[in-house]
Amino acid sequence: MDFVILSLVMLAIGVYGLLTNRHLLKVFISVELIATGATLNFVTLASAMGKGLGEAFLILAFSTDTAVSAVILALLVIVSKKYGTSDISEVMKLQENDSEVEE
Amino acid sequence: MIVEIISVGLIVTACLALFLDEAVYSVAALAGTFLFTALIYVLNGAVFVAIFQFAVGVGTLAILFLSGEMLSEKPAKRASPKNTAALIGAGIVLSLPAVFLSVSGAVAEGSDVSFGDALWNLRGVDVVLQGLVILTVALGIAIVLYEKRNGGK
Repeated sequence: MDFVILSLVMLAIGVYGLLTNRHLLKVFISVELIATGATLNFVTLASAMGKGLGEAFLILAFSTDTAVSAVILALLVIVSKKYGTSDISEVMKLQENDSEVEE
Repeated sequence: MIVEIISVGLIVTACLALFLDEAVYSVAALAGTFLFTALIYVLNGAVFVAIFQFAVGVGTLAILFLSGEMLSEKPAKRASPKNTAALIGAGIVLSLPAVFLSVSGAVAEGSDVSFGDALWNLRGVDVVLQGLVILTVALGIAIVLYEKRNGGK
C-alpha cells in the first residue's frame, strides 16, 4: 500500500475533473480533490520521516485551502446570480454578448 | 487490510463526487472523501490534522450543501444505477495501483521536531502572517457587504 501513489491518483482525478467539467460546483469539487491529494502527500511524507514539521505545514495549507474555498464559493454565487447559470461555457457566451452590447 | 479498504473508498467517493449529476449527491460523496482522508491521517498517526481536516470539511460541506441546493438546476433525468455502478467500478480500478504498487526511495533524515514546536516556534511567523491574511480577507468581505448595503439604499 502506497499513499504517494494514492495521492497521485487523487491529483489525476482532480485535474481530469477540472478539465472536463463545465459546472462551477464541480470545478470547485475538483479543486478540493487536488488539495486533498496534496495534503495527503504532506501527511504521508511527514509521518514517514516521523516528524512534526510536515504536519505544521499542513495546518497552514489547510488555512490557505479554506480561504481559496471561500473565494471560489463567493465567485460561484456572484456568477450564478449575475448570469443565472453555473455553466462556464454559457457564462463565457453571456459575457461575450455583454461586451458586444457595451461596444 | 483496513488501509486498502479506506483507500478504495477514498478513490470511489472522489469519482462519485466528480461525476454524479445531482449536486447534492456529489456533495454527499465529497463528505465521504473527507471522512476517508481523515481516517488515513489517523492511520498515519496525525490525529490533530485529522480533526482539523474533519472540522474544515464539515464547514465546507455545509456551505456546499446550501449552494448546491440554491444554485444548481435539477438534472432532467435521474442518474441510472448502471451509471453509478460504472463510476464505482472505475474508482475501484483507479485505486488498484495504489494498493498493489509502491514507490521506494531513500528517506531523508529529518530533524527531531515535535508538532507544537514546529507550529509555534519554527513556523511561528508563518502562522501569524496567515492569521493576518485571513483577518484581511474577513475585513474585505465585511467592507464589501457594508458598501453594498449602503449603495442599495
